[in-house]
Amino acid sequence: MSLPTKTNPKWEEIVTGKRTYTLKFLGAKILLGRLIRTIDADPSPHNISVAVNELHALYSKNVTIQSAKDDLRTIFG
Amino acid sequence: MHQGLFSIDEARQLILDGKTLLIAGAEELLAQLPLGDWIGGTSPYFIAPNHNGMIAHEQLFISDISKIADSCYIKAYDKNELTSIYNEAGEGGFSVIIIPATSSVHASFALDAPTYDNFGSQPLIGWIAGAPIDQLGERRPRVFNGKKGESYIDHAIIMHVNIVKSKSIDIGHINIFSQGAGDTLTFLEDGFSFTHVLVNGVKVNFTDYIVTNDIDIRLPLIADYYGALVNISLQDVDAKRGVRFYAPVFTGIKYKWAAPLGNYGETLSNKIKSIDLESSEIVFSCNCILNYLHSHLEGNKNEQFTGLISYGEIAYQLLNQTLVYLIVSDI
Repeated sequence: MSLPTKTNPKWEEIVTGKRTYTLKFLGAKILLGRLIRTIDADPSPHNISVAVNELHALYSKNVTIQSAKDDLRTIFG
Repeated sequence: MHQGLFSIDEARQLILDGKTLLIAGAEELLAQLPLGDWIGGTSPYFIAPNHNGMIAHEQLFISDISKIADSCYIKAYDKNELTSIYNEAGEGGFSVIIIPATSSVHASFALDAPTYDNFGSQPLIGWIAGAPIDQLGERRPRVFNGKKGESYIDHAIIMHVNIVKSKSIDIGHINIFSQGAGDTLTFLEDGFSFTHVLVNGVKVNFTDYIVTNDIDIRLPLIADYYGALVNISLQDVDAKRGVRFYAPVFTGIKYKWAAPLGNYGETLSNKIKSIDLESSEIVFSCNCILNYLHSHLEGNKNEQFTGLISYGEIAYQLLNQTLVYLIVSDI
């Protein structure tokens, strides 16, 4: 599947912890460990925007990896 | 061939044949190898195909990644340069990193890896180089740049690999531990060593807490990173110095002690058997020295796992008491 744009609300729901998914891509899990902690400490719109950009960039650069593909299907259907 | 033990002459020939190699072994052997597309790090413990767990002073453990490597770029990084490793990585490939244990780059990477610019732009896997246990403190772990014939005790060596177009890779890891149901531990700063800890929000002397509660220090603290359980193994507990870890803990993360295991070795073995490779194959793997010791793997065979034994595993960040592996599959 193609990568949903950064404006898709599910990206923000993930980095803010509003929705959780069982993910497979290890790089994303480690990044989310940091992003969610950062937003917990300061949930400013700027921090959320930065986090969405980082998570989106991670998946966009790893779209050939099977676990990342599986995650995108899990999150976006 | 993907992984196995080789004599110095066999290793030399593989390099001269133009293979792309990840090599672990004794410093004296690594220093004799010719220039080529390889990186290496000191580590004497291995589990080789058809061998028991062993310490090998006369042989080298080699992971041959030639089948998936279209080209590679090798560079040594000091602790200040490490932040740029993802910016210098390619696209769609992977990077292999080896770091000398107890070096400044070891500490720097452990603390900062998840914050590196362009984090995870391609997978990063590797290991912490060590020395024989009875020589720790006497011999400095060392990493090697095979392309330049240089070695380092205070730099990380990284091979950025562009992979052939028909292949896809991924990183997997095995953690035999799960979080227990007991106390929640948090820390007031990031670091490797602490005299005090917050237990369920209450500040206590860390050593007293461990002694009073009879904590089994073979069991790590565990953080949950969005479902990925990350172990923090204890190095030692001292009444004056406090508690030292092999990897850093971070503020804002909630840690729990690992749930007790039944039989350590059996648990590890069963977990390895459960790896679902489907149509993929493992081309590189490393397992923690603590798993090796606590599972009594020396002299014992573990049919499911071959690989080098490390003083810390790297899968994007530093891990402890974990097995990490790189898998490759056809696109």
